[in-house]
Amino acid sequence: MSASYAAVGWNKQKKIYDWLIACLCFIYLLLFISVTLIINEQATFETLLIRSTSTLAVLLLHIILAIGPLCRLNKKFLPLLYNRRHLGVTMFTFALVHGSFSLFQFHALSNTNPIISLFTSNTNFGSLAAFPFQVLGLFALIIFFLMAITSHDFWLHNLSPKVWKTLHMFVYLAYILVVMHVMLGVIQYENDPVFVIMIFAGAITLVILHLLAGSKERKLDNMKFALQREGFVYVCPVAEIEDSRAKIFYIDKERIAVYRHNNKLYAIHNVCKHQGGPLGEGKILDGCITCPWHGYQYLPHNGQSPPPFKEKVSTYDVKIIDGKVWLNPAPFAEGTERPGAEIK
Amino acid sequence: MDNKEFYIGWMPAAPASFAKHIRKVILILTALIITAGILLAVQQKKFSTASFEFGQLTEITGVYQQFPVPSIKVMTGRDAYGHFSYITVPLVGYGKFGAESTIVELEKEKNTSLDKKLVTFRGTLLYSDGKTLLQIDNTDKPLMQVSETTENILPMVKEIGTVQLTGEVLDPKCYFGVMKPGQGKPHRDCAVRCIAGGMSPVFYVRNEKGEANYYLILDANGKKMNEQLKDIVAEPISLQARAVQYDDWVVLYVDSPDKIKRTGGFSWFKIKDGDTYCGSPHIVNGSN
Repeated sequence: MSASYAAVGWNKQKKIYDWLIACLCFIYLLLFISVTLIINEQATFETLLIRSTSTLAVLLLHIILAIGPLCRLNKKFLPLLYNRRHLGVTMFTFALVHGSFSLFQFHALSNTNPIISLFTSNTNFGSLAAFPFQVLGLFALIIFFLMAITSHDFWLHNLSPKVWKTLHMFVYLAYILVVMHVMLGVIQYENDPVFVIMIFAGAITLVILHLLAGSKERKLDNMKFALQREGFVYVCPVAEIEDSRAKIFYIDKERIAVYRHNNKLYAIHNVCKHQGGPLGEGKILDGCITCPWHGYQYLPHNGQSPPPFKEKVSTYDVKIIDGKVWLNPAPFAEGTERPGAEIK
Repeated sequence: MDNKEFYIGWMPAAPASFAKHIRKVILILTALIITAGILLAVQQKKFSTASFEFGQLTEITGVYQQFPVPSIKVMTGRDAYGHFSYITVPLVGYGKFGAESTIVELEKEKNTSLDKKLVTFRGTLLYSDGKTLLQIDNTDKPLMQVSETTENILPMVKEIGTVQLTGEVLDPKCYFGVMKPGQGKPHRDCAVRCIAGGMSPVFYVRNEKGEANYYLILDANGKKMNEQLKDIVAEPISLQARAVQYDDWVVLYVDSPDKIKRTGGFSWFKIKDGDTYCGSPHIVNGSN
C-alpha cells in the first residue's frame, strides 16, 4: 500500500518472490535446453528458443491461474498471491519472446509483411486439423500484453478497479486461446501423448480448483436469513465473531463483513477497493481492517483508508440484541461514519 | 490457523506457519518445474540430421538447368557401366524465395540465358537424406563462372506411370536444412510463405519401413503449380499423378488440382506418423 506511484514498491518479500521466480525460470530453461541438446543434438538455436520459452510460459500461466483458487481454499497460499503480477509479467515476457521470434522465423524474409502473413498464410478457419493456430496465440499474447502493461496500481486506479478487474478476467479467454493454440498447433505434429496428457491435466486441475473455490463461495452466498426486523436481518450470535476478525454475510446480492474490534461490531462492504479482495477475510491491525490480498487498510467505523490514502468502502448499521447480531443491508455512502454496536 | 497469524505482503517477513507452508509449496513447484522440463524435452520428436551451412559459402560447378526446377546438374563420377553419373542440386533463393528471380537478374547482368550452360555457383549448401540444395543470394555474388556454349547432356529419363501417393507437400529449403522441424503443422505458415515465394514444392512420402521418398511436383504441362499447392502444405494429402524420373529426382505431373485430396484429420494421439499418413507408392498404371 503506497500513497504515491513507484515502478515497483520493493520490500523484502517482493525481492524474495522475484528471486524465486528467476531461479525457477532459470532451472526450467537450463533443464529443457540441456536435456534437449543431450538427447536431440540436432536441435537448432531457433527451435530451442521458441520451445523453451513457450513451454515455460504455459507452465507459468497454469501456476498463475491456480494461485487464485488455492488462496480461496487455503489462506496459507496468500504469499503467492501478493506479488502475482510479477509472475504474470514474467510469463508475458517469455510468451513475447516466443511469439516475436516465431513471427520472425515463420513469416519474415518472405514476399508478405510478417503481420499480414500471420493472418493470410493459412486461412483454413473451417478445418480443425488445418486451423491457423498461430492467430490464436497472437490474440492470447495481445491479452497478456494489455494485462502486463496495466498491471501497475497506476492503471488500477485510473481505469477504476471494476474496469481493471474486468480486463484482467480476460486471462481466462487467453488461457483457452493458449490451450487451443497448443492443441491445434505443435501437438498436431508431435507423436507422444504426454503433451496432450499434460495439457489436459493442467486444464482439469484448474477447473477442479476453481469449482472447489466456487463451491466454498456458494455456501456463503446460499446462507438464508429468515429473521427480519425493521430492515435489520439476524445473521449470527455475537460469540461467532472472533476479536479483530470478521464474518462475511451475503444479503441482497452484496457481501458484507462484520468486524469485531475493541469490544464493538462494525460492518463494511466486503470488497477491497484495490483488487476486490475479501476484506472480511482480513484482520484488524493497528486499528485498521487489513485486506488479506495486498494489505490495503480501512478504518472499521467509517470504511475510509487512513490518511494520506483515499480509498473508501460502504458502511452498514449493525446492532446487538440479546447476544444476537442484527445487520441492516442498506449501505451508507462510502466512507460514512457509523457508531457500531457495543458488545455488553 | 492461529488467529494471531496474518499475512501481509508489505511486512518484512511472513508469519512462521505461512513461511513453512510456502517453503513446502516452493519444493513442490521446483519438483514440478524439473519434471516438466525433463519430460517435455525428452518426449519431443527427434529432429532430422538436415544441415544448413549458415555463413559458409561453397562453390559448385555443373550444368544449370531450368527444368524441372532451377538446379545444377553436377557430375559425380561414372557408374558401374562407365556412364557418367550426376546429382541434381536444386537452387533456392535467400529467405523464403525461390531461385528464379536471382537467376533472372544474373541472366540480365550477363545478357545471356544460363540454361544448359556450365556454371559455377557460389552459395550456401543445405543437405539431408541424400538430397543437396544450394541457396544463392545476390549479395554473395553467386555466379562465379558461366560457359559461352550450352552443354548437350540429356537427363536419364524413365517413365514410371501413374501413381497414387499419400504424403505431405514441403518447402525443400526448410525441410532439407534451415528449420527443425521443417514440416508438419508448426511449420505450415512458413512452408506457405516459401512456396508462395516461388520455392519448388517437394512431395514427401514415407513407406511402412520409414524410408522417405521425395518428388518434385509440376502440372500436366510441366509448369509450377505453387499457387494450387500452397494451401495444402504441411498436412496429409493423397494425389494421383504421372511419375517420370529425371536422373536422381522423380517428377510428379498432376493433371488437375482435383487429383489432390486432403486425407488428414486430428492427430492428437497418433503413435507413429505412418498411422495417419505416408503410405507406400501405389502404381495405378505403370509402364515398366
